[in-house]
Amino acid sequence: MTFPRSIPIALLAAAAVCAEPNSTETKAAENKPKAFTERQRSWWAFQPVAKPALPAVKNAAWAKTEIDRFVLAKLEEKGIAPNPAADKATLLRRAYLTLIGLPPTPEQTQAFVSDASPGAWEKVVDGLLASEHYGERWGRHWLDLARYADSEGFKSDETRPNVWRYRDYVIKSLNSGKPYDRFVQEQIAGDELFPGDHDAIVATGFNRHFPDESNAANIMQRRQELLNDITDVTGATMMAMTYGCARCHDHKFDPILHKDYYRLQAFFANTRIEDGAELVSSERKAAWQAKQDLWEQKTADIRKQIDAVIQPRYKTRYQERLTRFPEEIQAVLNMPAEKRNPFEWQMYQKAKAQVTFSEADIAAMLKGDDKARYNELKKQLAVFDKIKPAPLPTAQTMMDESASAPPTHVLAVGNHEAKLYAVEPGFLSILDPADAKVQPVDGRSTGRRAALARWMTDPSNPITTRVIANRIWHYTFGRGIVATPSDFGAMGERPSNKELLDWFTYTFVHEDKWSIKAATKRLLMSNAWAQSSVFNEASAEKDPSNKFGWRFERRRLEGETIRDSMLSAAGALNAKMGGPGVFPPLPPGMTTRGGWLANEKSENTTRRSVYTFVRRNARYPMFEAFDMPDTHEPCARRNQTTSSTQALELLNNEQVVGWASKLAQRASNDSGMTPESRIERAYRLAYVRAPSPDELKSAAAFLARQTALVKDGDAAFADLCHMLLNSNEFVFIN
Amino acid sequence: MLGKLQHHWPVQSRRDFFTRAGSGLAGMALASLVAGDARAAKDALGARKPHHPAKAKSVIWLFMEGGPSHIDLFDPKPKLNELAGQPMPASFGKPITAMGTAGNTLMGSPRTWKQYGKSGAWVSNWYPHIANHVDDLCIVRSCWANGLNHVGSVCQMNTGDILAGRPSMGAWVTYGLGAANRNLPAFVILTDDREVVGGPKNWSSGFLPATFQGTQFRQGDAPILHLKSPKGTSTERQRSKLDYLKELNERWSRDKAEDTELEARIQSYELAYKMQAEAPEAVDLSRESEKTKEMYGLNDPDLSAFGTNCLLARRMVERGVRFVELYCGSGSGWDAHSNIEGNHGKWCRVSDKPVAGLLTDLKQRGLLDDTLVVWGGEFGRTPFNEKGNGRDHNPWGFTMWMAGGGAKGGRYVGSTDEIGLRYQERPCHVHDIHASILHLLGLDHIKLTYMHNGRAERPTIVGGGLINEIWS
Repeated sequence: MTFPRSIPIALLAAAAVCAEPNSTETKAAENKPKAFTERQRSWWAFQPVAKPALPAVKNAAWAKTEIDRFVLAKLEEKGIAPNPAADKATLLRRAYLTLIGLPPTPEQTQAFVSDASPGAWEKVVDGLLASEHYGERWGRHWLDLARYADSEGFKSDETRPNVWRYRDYVIKSLNSGKPYDRFVQEQIAGDELFPGDHDAIVATGFNRHFPDESNAANIMQRRQELLNDITDVTGATMMAMTYGCARCHDHKFDPILHKDYYRLQAFFANTRIEDGAELVSSERKAAWQAKQDLWEQKTADIRKQIDAVIQPRYKTRYQERLTRFPEEIQAVLNMPAEKRNPFEWQMYQKAKAQVTFSEADIAAMLKGDDKARYNELKKQLAVFDKIKPAPLPTAQTMMDESASAPPTHVLAVGNHEAKLYAVEPGFLSILDPADAKVQPVDGRSTGRRAALARWMTDPSNPITTRVIANRIWHYTFGRGIVATPSDFGAMGERPSNKELLDWFTYTFVHEDKWSIKAATKRLLMSNAWAQSSVFNEASAEKDPSNKFGWRFERRRLEGETIRDSMLSAAGALNAKMGGPGVFPPLPPGMTTRGGWLANEKSENTTRRSVYTFVRRNARYPMFEAFDMPDTHEPCARRNQTTSSTQALELLNNEQVVGWASKLAQRASNDSGMTPESRIERAYRLAYVRAPSPDELKSAAAFLARQTALVKDGDAAFADLCHMLLNSNEFVFIN
Repeated sequence: MLGKLQHHWPVQSRRDFFTRAGSGLAGMALASLVAGDARAAKDALGARKPHHPAKAKSVIWLFMEGGPSHIDLFDPKPKLNELAGQPMPASFGKPITAMGTAGNTLMGSPRTWKQYGKSGAWVSNWYPHIANHVDDLCIVRSCWANGLNHVGSVCQMNTGDILAGRPSMGAWVTYGLGAANRNLPAFVILTDDREVVGGPKNWSSGFLPATFQGTQFRQGDAPILHLKSPKGTSTERQRSKLDYLKELNERWSRDKAEDTELEARIQSYELAYKMQAEAPEAVDLSRESEKTKEMYGLNDPDLSAFGTNCLLARRMVERGVRFVELYCGSGSGWDAHSNIEGNHGKWCRVSDKPVAGLLTDLKQRGLLDDTLVVWGGEFGRTPFNEKGNGRDHNPWGFTMWMAGGGAKGGRYVGSTDEIGLRYQERPCHVHDIHASILHLLGLDHIKLTYMHNGRAERPTIVGGGLINEIWS
């Protein structure tokens, strides 16, 4: 009988099941070269990206752009005719919702519909790509991949007070048209590659978004879990490779070796969080310091007295927490800094946070005279608040602990205590079996992440380039050329049109110079994108799932876009950008759990959804109901479910009812007071089109019926508007 | 490995994926796309056949949150009382504990113990009412788990993993079996007034579609968020609005007949409307007899909150709710690091009579046969003391029990060592417990898969075996 003295032994047993039938490999504590099969070596995603020649097509008139040539060639090959173009109003609404996540106003619609000039469409597309709302819409896509949240997760789910700067960084980067290669370099290794660039420092928050437990008892296990998270996220997001499957053994289907998992992990082995990264110039810092020094000088005496109250309690608290740790961790905390090796520094950094307390933490524990004394001293100190400079803006980031990293081992079944053999940083062995070439940076950082970032943004990288090109396609068309945007492996989908993916990837990297906007514009300018979503039986018979793109893919909007669209139609959207997360009201009956601000300023309750605070353990109910991802791992493709919970959200939520009333008022104010003119205006605001005579008649009938029922014409009209906002036409992109 | 994977269904398209994964309602067919496992069929909540004949139709999980002390409730340890006051002998193996208490002296249990029923199972004087049901309880005394802290352990007991992000058992069961009553949520959570550690992560659908996530019932006559019509909206007015909405939607669908998602949305509003009527009825206790209320302890102010939840749980399973999870001491109530006498004294009293009442009531209504009742915490407690009069977390050996739904009563499974620190015979990991619960519901934990990130994920991750002793 073996006792589960620690988790590992049991996990070994469990993992044997996973690793079967070749579980013996996990025991091989040696680093043998691996022979890949021919099928693995010729896997499509690992082949260099060439620029295919434009294919010949029969219906050349339809093919407006190069993209169209590839799409049409495939359709003709399958004997499918593309759909005719959607009407102008549908197209305009589609473009607005796709690029900025808001519907066009009736005036914008009118202007476009009546503009017969040849450049009208391009003008719209350019305008939308230049809109600041573009970054808010497309930034949300990237935040899904980055598992972004404003809190820690786990039990306490504490707020990460400055992490919103990363969200703003993403929005700003997309709006400014930052090339994707630079965007990736900043997020993986901004501190190493662009020291002194504040945006690049904030960007390293990408790897800071792991869920974390602030009081984990087994901190080295926790460290391993964080490294696993970073490895999995990097593999999935940048490379569309399910690295996670190789944590315990060689990947069962793809050529990702067990050691490749740890080769990738080794790039991050020396990282630690840095939550106090200051975002100011040296001049501003100096000016701030001068003020701070003055304040410190004036308050030295009071602060000394405060210290005298705080310190004894601090010391006992420190001791209490310290002794919870196993002896080896205590030893590391107590040893002189110069004695610590890189691995011990990792221990130290993880443990230190648990034995470090703020003055407020300690003050809250004071009792009796101490407490009275402390409060009195704080009052005296407050007198000097007017000369105290405001704290400097800081970001929550990742950096290297030092220039030398602790060793990384391949771990049997992923267990941090079951080390097999050491590995150096490296890429997928099938692409490059050698160790990565790493140069330390200024003696302060290993340079490992810089090497990884360079590899990922090498124009000749066959994977990372295809992955982002496919993502752009996915977010624009609703379905990627590879339908599984974060799995380019054997268990994922094959590209439905490999030549098209390669051509698009090649032009994105070499001609559009990694510009997401330029690539997106290519798609928006195509006839392929302009097709209607109308069903065609003959086409559907040959391609039931629309894999080859013979029509536009109708789909439900995300919860955030539904909310933003309702606010926008109601004329109630507060367009203010950026800043800390905001707290729109929770449904009645729901306690303000985990620190949801109950009395948020009313103007903040109508901000765009991307600015809503993301509490990891409790997503905002409306977004959760509509499939917002759960922020514990990257999400490449949102689920699209339908449930009665969603119906209740839109039907009975008093906020939605309020927006419907605003829409009703707006429609009434804009138009004459006849029922027909109000209805017509409401239709234009909600649906971006006028009602047909039939629809007008049916709406008028409802209005009459409802007015008789509620004895209030305005309330009845608000009911009508409310149902427009609930309807399929409003929540679908068509 | 391939045998395990054949139940995944290849994604042919985004639409196909979403349609099959959960968007469709009410039996819409799109014959050309039907493929793969019935569990991934278009009608996400439609009732589905189990893998094998089920013994249980629903589950009531009584979650004693914070970690009840097995050695003070169901697992008497005379040896521990003998060694009380001494350091733990090294032969038991010193563990890392949450509070670093493993060097502390052993603490005996001051409880008095008796054997009950025909089976003669031991129960301490903290659970006098539940003790009368031992012949219906299958007491598993060798449970073990991986987490040391509450959040990870509660998460694992719900989802199989100490790290959040995986679907909870209730979500897997709903995914596997669908709903038996479409007018109520299939997976319901009832809590005390404090928040469960980790919050809604514990009843999340994880990577499964959101349709399968649990719904937390709140106190009062509107247990579901946004259940009530907007202020001042009568049923008639609401119905009239919905009729107009239907008109709008049907008109828009006229040339989109192939799009089942549009139809699913129309249906979802009809379901919501029915739920508005049925859910308040499900939580309305006014028709329950005084005798029933008394049986659940509703007349005792200390017991009435948890007793009400127990009674609600019965009403739910009566109405076809698949999985009811009922927290007692939500927010680590049972976490007796100090003063275990006061702490457990309180929570045992809170839970004893209501749980016994629930068992009695289920039995007399014939519901216990196909309702599996599960009792337990996220872990047990240590034999060594903390702060002199409390006990630390113990995931290495603890007790859970099951009743009804095919679990054979009046028996023990497994044992712990002489002081109750670690399992000894027949270890039952959380994955084994999950696999066994699914088994009783007719689901095979190996076949119940969902394709995610290139892997056919299952409820037991990479582990899990059946605890046959529970039913055979």
